[in-house]
Amino acid sequence: MIDYEYKIPADLHEVFTLLKEYGEKATLVAGGTDVMVKIRNTRKAPEVLISLRRLEDLRYIRKNGGYRIGGLTTHRMLELSNLVRTELSALHDAASQVGSVQVRNVATLGGNICNAAPSADTAAPLLVLDAAVVLEGPGGRRRVPIAEFFKGTYRTVKEPDEVLIEFDIPEKMGAFGSAYWKHSRRKAMELPLIGIAVSVKLSEANEIEDSRIALTVAAPTPIRAYLAEDFLRGKPFTDQVLKEAGEIASSSECCTLRTSLRCEAWYREDMIKIFVPRMAKLAAERIKSR
Amino acid sequence: MSEYLYVGKSTPRTIETDKVTGRAVYISDLRRPGMLFGKILYSRYAHAKIKGIDTSKAEKLQGVRAVLTGRDIPEVRVGFLKDQTVLKKDVVRQFRDEVAAVAATSPEIAEEALGLIEVEYEELPAVFDPIEAMKEDAPLVHEIDARGRPVRSNILPLPWKFSAGDIEQGRKDSAYIAKDNVRTTWVNQCCMGTSGCVAEFDMNNNLTLYSQTNVPFLGKQRIVEYLRNIGLKGSRVRVVNPIVGGSFGTKLDTDIYEFIAVQLALRTRKPVKILFTREEEFRALPPRQPAIFEIEQGCDKEGKLTFRKVEAILDNGAYTSWGATTPSVMMMPISSLYRVPNVSFNATCVYTNNIYCQAMRGYGNPQATFAVETSMDSLAEEAGIDPAELRLINCNKPGELTPMRLKITTCPLDRCIKTVQEKINWKEKRGKRNGRGIGMASLIHVAGGARVYKSDGHGIMVKVDQNGNVDVLESGTDQGQGSPTVISQMVAEALGFRPEDVSITLGDTALCLWDAGTHASRHTFMAGNAAIRACDKAKKQILEMAVEHMPEIVEYKLKRKERKDPDFQMPDLDYSLISEPDKLDIKDRYIFPKNQPEHPYFRMEVSEVLTRGLHVGTGESKVVVGEAFYDPPTEMLDREMKGNYSCTYAFGTTAVEVEVDRETGEVKILNLFAAHDVGRAMNPTLVKGQIYGAAYMGVGYGLTEQLQLRNGRVMNPNFRDYKMLTAKDVVPVVPLVIEEPDADGPFGAKGIGEPGLVPTAPAIANAIYDAIGVRITDLPITAEKVLVALKKKAGEQS
Ligand SMILES: Cc1cc2nc3c(=O)[nH]c(=O)nc-3n(C[C@H](O)[C@H](O)[C@H](O)COP(=O)(O)OP(=O)(O)OC[C@H]3O[C@@H](n4cnc5c(N)ncnc54)[C@H](O)[C@@H]3O)c2cc1C
Repeated sequence: MIDYEYKIPADLHEVFTLLKEYGEKATLVAGGTDVMVKIRNTRKAPEVLISLRRLEDLRYIRKNGGYRIGGLTTHRMLELSNLVRTELSALHDAASQVGSVQVRNVATLGGNICNAAPSADTAAPLLVLDAAVVLEGPGGRRRVPIAEFFKGTYRTVKEPDEVLIEFDIPEKMGAFGSAYWKHSRRKAMELPLIGIAVSVKLSEANEIEDSRIALTVAAPTPIRAYLAEDFLRGKPFTDQVLKEAGEIASSSECCTLRTSLRCEAWYREDMIKIFVPRMAKLAAERIKSR
Repeated sequence: MSEYLYVGKSTPRTIETDKVTGRAVYISDLRRPGMLFGKILYSRYAHAKIKGIDTSKAEKLQGVRAVLTGRDIPEVRVGFLKDQTVLKKDVVRQFRDEVAAVAATSPEIAEEALGLIEVEYEELPAVFDPIEAMKEDAPLVHEIDARGRPVRSNILPLPWKFSAGDIEQGRKDSAYIAKDNVRTTWVNQCCMGTSGCVAEFDMNNNLTLYSQTNVPFLGKQRIVEYLRNIGLKGSRVRVVNPIVGGSFGTKLDTDIYEFIAVQLALRTRKPVKILFTREEEFRALPPRQPAIFEIEQGCDKEGKLTFRKVEAILDNGAYTSWGATTPSVMMMPISSLYRVPNVSFNATCVYTNNIYCQAMRGYGNPQATFAVETSMDSLAEEAGIDPAELRLINCNKPGELTPMRLKITTCPLDRCIKTVQEKINWKEKRGKRNGRGIGMASLIHVAGGARVYKSDGHGIMVKVDQNGNVDVLESGTDQGQGSPTVISQMVAEALGFRPEDVSITLGDTALCLWDAGTHASRHTFMAGNAAIRACDKAKKQILEMAVEHMPEIVEYKLKRKERKDPDFQMPDLDYSLISEPDKLDIKDRYIFPKNQPEHPYFRMEVSEVLTRGLHVGTGESKVVVGEAFYDPPTEMLDREMKGNYSCTYAFGTTAVEVEVDRETGEVKILNLFAAHDVGRAMNPTLVKGQIYGAAYMGVGYGLTEQLQLRNGRVMNPNFRDYKMLTAKDVVPVVPLVIEEPDADGPFGAKGIGEPGLVPTAPAIANAIYDAIGVRITDLPITAEKVLVALKKKAGEQS
C-alpha cells in the first residue's frame, strides 16, 4: 500500500532541519505533479514528503537589472506575466503550454527543472536565456549555469539536501528575442515530441550577433545545440543560413534522436530542421515588435 | 412545427445538475454494506500455456477474502461465439486474458494480493497480423471450438458474404474505375467513467447486478444463463443501472469482469465491486474493430455508379465479441450509400493474439464509410467529376429499395450535400492545391431501430398520480445522451402534461419492461413510439375519469360558491360538452372541452380529476397507468444478408476545410459543417450536442487516436499517450439540423446518436487530398503519414 508521511514546513530553515532529519528517506515536493504521478505509477513512495508549498516568498518574477524568478513560481504565474511574455518570450511560450490550466496552477518552474525529464518544456527556454540555477543547502548558496545543471535523464547536479531557490537570467538577455516551439499532437495535456527554443540578437545590419538554440527530447537531457549557434554567429539572418543551422542542430553532432512509441527519430530530425528557422524568425520578429 | 408544445424545444437536461455537483451516484460512488473490492490479474503473455498458479501467498494476505483461478470455478464458456471462459485455466491467448481474481476489503489490498500470485507460463508462438494469421502454417489461436471440435484455421466460422446484381456486368458498364486500399485501426471508446459493477447475492442466491450495461435485459439473460450453467438453476437476476458515465458501445456486451464479480460475490457471500482503472480501461476493454479494406467501384460516363466491390479483413483478436458482427452494419453503407446497382461485399474475421473488439459509436459504419467515401473521391477524380456532383448524381432518394432491401422512406441527402456545399463555399474553395483544401463525405445509418434480434422491442410504462405527476418506467438506459429529458418532453406532449411533471426511471430489469437495448441510435425513436402508445392508453383513462367525475366536481364547486356568495347566479351549464371522452382533451396539464377550451368551469387542472378518480368512496376507485411494447415493423437480415432492418434511415453530410503544413505534415481543421437528417429534432440543443460530440470523436478517429499495439500489448494505456482530443483542440464545428419529419418516427424523429461520427474522418481525408494532392487511407492520418506521402510524391515527380 502506498503510504508516506507528509510534512509542510513553514520556512526554508524548517525545510533544512527536516531534510537533515530524514536524509535519503525524504523527497521534496513543490506542485507534486511529477512526484505524485511517479508514486502512483511505481506504486512506491518515499517515507516522507516534504512540501514546499508554504514557501510563498519563493514565488516571484522580478526585474532588477537581470531577471529573477523564484524556484516555486508556478507556470501559471509565468503565463500571466506581461514581463515574461514580452522579454522572456520563449519561457512564456513553454510555461503557458505545460499540461493544462489546472496543472499550471500548481506545477512549478523549479519542479520542472529539478525533475530533469528530457522533455521538460521550460528547460529549453531557460537554456537559451542563459539562466543560472541558484541552489541553497546547509553549506550555503551556489549558482550553477543551467547548461551544467542536467547530469542525465532525471538526474541533476543538485544535492538531495539542496533546495532550488531561484533562476537568474542575465540582464543582457533582455536584448535577445526568443521563442519556443513545443511540437506535439494536441494542444494540451501533452509532452513535446520535440521542443525547439531559439534566442537571437541581431545587429543593425541584420546579422546574427549572438544566438542560442536548445532542444528537448533530442538527447537524454535538454541540450544546447552549440555547433549550430557557432555556425550562426556573425552570419546574415537569411533563410538559407537558418536552414543550415537547422540542419546542424538536427545532426547527430548535436543530438541523439531516438525512435520511440511516441515518435520516430526521422520525424524529430525533420522538425528540428523546420523549427530552428521558424523559431529564429519568430524570435527576431518579437524584438522588432517590442 | 408549432403544433407541439414541448417537443422541438430545447428543454434543459434534467439530472445534469446532480452530475455537475457530484451528487449523482456513478458505479465508482456506489457502496453496499460489507462490500468487498475485486481486482483481476491479467496475462503476462500474448499466447502461453499456464503451467501452474500459486495463490497461497495472496490468500494469506490480511484483508483478502477470496482468490479465484480457472481451477476454482466451473469451466463455462461465455461470449458471442462462446469462445472463452471467465478465468483462463490452461491457455492465455491475449494480454488481457483474465488469469486470477481477488476480493479483498480494500482495492489496495486486492491490488497487493495480485502481486503475490505466482503464475508459471510457457510461451507459445503467437500471431498478431490478421493476414499472417490466415496463412496455413500460422500458429492457431484456438485449438478447439465451442463444441470441442478441433479447429484448423484462425478464420472465424462467421463468413459475411453479400452480393447483389452482377459485378462483372457493372465492371463492363464502367467508364471509370477506382481501386483503393484502406485501413482503420483500434480506437478506445474513452468513456469518462471507467467500467465497473457491483454483484450482490441474497441468501436465496438471487443476484442483483449493478451494471453499466446498455442492454439490461439481454445482459440479464446472459447472466441468468451463466448462473444456470454453473449450477445455480433457480437464481433470479435483477440488473440495475447506476448513473453511467459514457458507453459509446462498451456496454453492449457483458464483459468478463462482470462474470468475475459474480463469481467473487458468490464465493464470499458479500457484495463485490470491480472498478477499472484508466489503464485497465485501455488494456482490458474491447476497442473499436479495426478493418482492412480493398474497395473498387466504377461509374459510367455520366457518373452513375456501376458497381462497388469490397473485401474486408477484420482482426478479431483472441475472442469474439460484437466486433465480429460489425460487417452487418458495414454492409449498409457499402450496399446502400448512394445508388449502386451491383454490389459485392465479403468480410473475413480472423483470430489473432491481439486484443478483441467490441462495438463503438457507428458500429462498423465509420470504418466502411471511410472506405466508401474516400473511394468516391478517387472515383470522382478518375472520372473528372466534381466529388460533390458525383454524390448528387448518385444520391439516395425517398421510396428507393436498396440492393440490401433497405426501404428508404424520408431521405433529404441531397439537401444535406447542398447545404454543406453552400456553407463551405465549395465552388470557390475547391481544387486550389495550395495547402488549403475542402472535402466532404456522407452517411447512411439506421435511425428507426435495428433488428439484430428477433425482437427489436421496447417497453414503457406511464403512471400518473393524483398530484398530476407522471412516473415513467422506461426500459432503455441513459449513458449521458440525455434520453430522460427527451422522453419527458415526448411523454408530456403525448399525455398533455408538462415535461417537469414527468420523471423517468430507467435501467432496471425489475421495474421496466423488456428492451433490446440502448444502441443503434434507437432510444428516442423506440421510446417515443412506445411512449405515444402508452400515453394514449393513460390519457384515455384520464378522459374517461373526467367524463365520470367532472360534472360532480363542477357542481360541488358551484355549490360552494353559492354558499359563500349570496349574489352568485348559478350558470346554466351545457354538460354535453364533457359527456364523452372524445369531446375532451388535455394540454399543459389542463383538461378542457375541445369545443370550448377556455370554458370557465369545464377547464380544470388534471389533478382534480385524478384525485377524485382515485378516491371515489364506492369501490370504483381507479389508478391511471398505461403501458406499451413497441416492436417496429422491420425484418431480420435473411440468409443473403438482405432485409429492411430499420424502420427508417438517417442521412447526413460533413464538409471539412483543412490547412496542411507541408513541412510538418500537420493538419489543421479550419471549418467543419455537419448537416444531419434528424427527422424532427425533439430537443435541438441535445441534437446539436450529439452532433458536436460525434464530430469531435470523428476528428480524433481521423487524425490522432490509435491504440498502439506491439506484439499484442497495448503500449499507450493512458491519456498522455492516447491522443484523445482535449477541450483546447476544439475545432469550429457547425451542426446543421436538417428537418424532414419521418412518418414512422415519434413526432417525426429519427435517431442521431451515432451519425455525426461516421462521415468525419473521410471528409477530412478528402479535404487533405484537395489541399496537397495526397490521399491517405490509413487511419489515423498522422503528421508523419502526411509527410511520408508528400515526400513520396515529390520523389515521384522529380
Ligand atoms: C497532467 C500533467 C501534465 C503535464 N504536462 C507537462 C508539460 O506539458 N510539460 C512539462 O514539461 N511537464 C509536464 N508535466 C510534468 C510536471 O507538471 C512538470 O514537470 C512540473 O513543472 C513539475 O513541477 P512540480 O512543482 O509539480 O514538481 P514536483 O512534482 O513537486 O517535483 C518534481 C521534482 O523536483 C523536485 N523539486 C521540486 N521543487 C524543488 C525545489 N524548489 N528545490 C529542490 N527540488 C525541488 C522534487 O523533489 C521532485 O524531484 C505534466 C504533469 C502532469 C501531471
